[in-house]
Amino acid sequence: MSEIRAPGAITEALTPVSDASLLNAQLAAIPAGVAIEAPRTLARTATGIGLAVLFLLSFELTARVQDWVRFRMPILSPITSESDLMVRDAFGAHGRPGAQFRKWAMDSLGFRGPEVPAAKEPGTVRIVVTGASETFGLYESPHREFARALEDSLNARLAAGACAGSHLRRFEVLNDALPGMSLPTVEQDIHNRLGRFAPDVIVYYPSPAQFLEDRVPFATPRDTTRGSHDMPGAVRRILHPRTFDIVRDELKNLAPPVLLTWLRRRSAQAEQRRHPAGWQFTHVPRARLDDYEADLRELIGVIRAAGAEPVIATHATAFERPRSDSAALVQAWERYYPRATGSTIIRFDDSARASSIRAASDSGVVVADVAAMFAHADGDNFADFVHFTDAGSARVAEVMTPAALRALQLRHECLP
Amino acid sequence: MLFNSAVFLFAFLPIAYTVFWGLRTTRSRHVWLAITGYVFYGYWNPWFTLLMLFSTLVSYSAGLGFLRWSDARHRKLCLVIPVTTDLALLGFFKYANFGLDTAQATLHLLGMQVMLPHLNIILPIGISFYTFHTISYIVDSYRGTIKPTRNFFEFAAYVSLFSQLVAGPIVRFRTIEADLEAIGATDRTRWLARGVSFFIVGLVEKVVVADSIAAFVDPALSHYHLLSTVGAWLAMLGYTFQLYFDFSGYSTMAVGLGMMFGLRIPQNFNSPYKSLDPSEFWRRWHISLSTCLRDYLYIPLGGNRHGEAQTYRNLMLTMVIGGLWHGAAWTFVVWGGYHGALLALHRKFGRGWDTMNAGVRQIAMFVLVVFGWVLFRATSFGMALSLFHTMLVPTNGALVEQPVLAIGVLAIAAWWAMRGPNVYEMNLSLSLRRRAVLTAAFGASLALIIGSPFSPFLYFQF
Repeated sequence: MSEIRAPGAITEALTPVSDASLLNAQLAAIPAGVAIEAPRTLARTATGIGLAVLFLLSFELTARVQDWVRFRMPILSPITSESDLMVRDAFGAHGRPGAQFRKWAMDSLGFRGPEVPAAKEPGTVRIVVTGASETFGLYESPHREFARALEDSLNARLAAGACAGSHLRRFEVLNDALPGMSLPTVEQDIHNRLGRFAPDVIVYYPSPAQFLEDRVPFATPRDTTRGSHDMPGAVRRILHPRTFDIVRDELKNLAPPVLLTWLRRRSAQAEQRRHPAGWQFTHVPRARLDDYEADLRELIGVIRAAGAEPVIATHATAFERPRSDSAALVQAWERYYPRATGSTIIRFDDSARASSIRAASDSGVVVADVAAMFAHADGDNFADFVHFTDAGSARVAEVMTPAALRALQLRHECLP
Repeated sequence: MLFNSAVFLFAFLPIAYTVFWGLRTTRSRHVWLAITGYVFYGYWNPWFTLLMLFSTLVSYSAGLGFLRWSDARHRKLCLVIPVTTDLALLGFFKYANFGLDTAQATLHLLGMQVMLPHLNIILPIGISFYTFHTISYIVDSYRGTIKPTRNFFEFAAYVSLFSQLVAGPIVRFRTIEADLEAIGATDRTRWLARGVSFFIVGLVEKVVVADSIAAFVDPALSHYHLLSTVGAWLAMLGYTFQLYFDFSGYSTMAVGLGMMFGLRIPQNFNSPYKSLDPSEFWRRWHISLSTCLRDYLYIPLGGNRHGEAQTYRNLMLTMVIGGLWHGAAWTFVVWGGYHGALLALHRKFGRGWDTMNAGVRQIAMFVLVVFGWVLFRATSFGMALSLFHTMLVPTNGALVEQPVLAIGVLAIAAWWAMRGPNVYEMNLSLSLRRRAVLTAAFGASLALIIGSPFSPFLYFQF
């Protein structure tokens, strides 16, 4: 087919190369067949294996370089998962100093967040927030977990004139939380370790559903046998392929929600079959709720004994407001606590809120009622059943800021 | 669905490919290609497949009309009605709010306080591209350049061809007609290896180069008012290479995918930053668009057949409309006008320019293109002026994030774009060493795809 062309050079200036000539060039470039002599089976197999190994090596190296570029995570890091961010030593269980896994970086004192001096500087108010994964921050962007949002919010208030006339120069918020940290472990950490950092306020964000585990939560045993925080099997850990973790996560992301829900239900049912009938809580277990409240009252005493003022938060869930994916979220939550039905977990959490408020008010402690706030908050605040998005964390900080200032008022006459 | 997504690479493509080559007849392959195109497009928003289907039916009917009627009046109707329909759809979805906003601003300037509505319209991805496909088919049929097809599924497969559906290259029916007709007899092994090679090179361009650059360019340009002079230059140089490798990468992947299915999709980029003058730049940049603009706009306007003044007018009109095709904003119009002016100036004073050293001309042309991209990237004239000011007047301020790394990535990108070979100049034969390089490149790209945040192609917005 002939091209319609305008006479003159300007047409050529726009594009003198005709489609036909391009196509001819491409056609000529295409080999007339895959003209490779058929190699012997052994050689072909060896080539295939070699290329597969090369593919995996390239994938692994790129993943490590990417972790370094994005998060400054060392290319040869022995940390292979979030659980490696915890260490057990003579104090008990707490953050591993200087550890980093992807976006989660611990400072040299074992807190998640930027480096702070061990000794509090003059004019600094130090607030420690502690709890489990909701407080540690799983889904938020780096530096957007509620501990950081609280610090930003308090310092913004200070800059705007709050606490005027006091000696305060800045607020410092230390994130002492770790995924899975039980209430008794928190108590132990405050008792054994946190006191030396001289916190003014300790904010506790509870995870009451922990009291629906098979056994009542207990403090992670201390380990006095180890003198340092070195990890055993460091070389093996350094060589642990990140490829597998990345691919597993991606498969999870790609899996249809229906499949994930089915797998979770199966897993929970399998756990229930391993136990006798009646093992599962189908109603809120009163004794467990009492255990929770008793531990909370004990925690308030431990915090005060450490020289700090407590703030107790109420625990919020994604079910504070109706949502379309509630059934799938409940199923996902139930997988972590197979001893209770989904509705029991939610009811237990509601009851625990009342227990938290009661324990706090009996002791004259400030309450940050996060659950109540989310009952009226629009937006995409939860990334799953209990963990926050960036927006959710910001809202938690909004509730905690006045609560922390009120707690400080008792000590520093800082006006909210 | 994106080429650089796990769902495309590990679900859509293997299924589309395996079923395609498992089918035996030309007709069944046409049907399958059309289905895959609609699934690919509908993955983003199923409702807009109806829009594409409507556009396809209108153009197909026009083709049947050309086959049926030979008298001028009916043929003209078969040209005007479907082209108007296609342009009306494009105009509504892409330019309605632009028109309303412009009218509003004009009325305000005239002192008339009228509030025009702002319509809540979602721009269907790729509408600019498939509208070009259907219009070129109708116009070529009218001109007699091609014989319209009676095979609906062949035509539907052409319009919805997933490899070039949403961001080009703009493939004219005449360039792909022979391959579509012979699709049942295509030699699979002849195309596969080369297609995969092209696809991997395109993936590297997009995922390794363009997205690495985006990591520092996007944050820098979202806070452009904080940049220093060096920061602004780094950001704009970064954007210059990001845009090229992003779009070129997509086009290269599209060509590679076409080969895997036995279809020859034309080259869209030919190392444009090696250009020595504006005319050469437009022979190398987005080739499928510039040829369309030439054939369906510049030449019908009269081309260079009516004297110098008319030629400049036609040139400017073509480039301004080309700019507007990229986006419904006055910044795109001015960008088009800027390039039109460069082409006109080169036409007028090209002899003097051509006497300069080739290296100097390449650098000078590159800098002129970078200035053009400021207009192209800016979301407002205020942003464009601010960037021009920061770039040209020494200003203190911020650099880009991780500047050492950014400069390293820019250096690699600059070498590849300005000195290195493009995919057509590479030796992609299947020696063991080259297979090893491609395997490693694919592994690296995949690691970046899976481990990185979502990264759409820049040209999807057009």
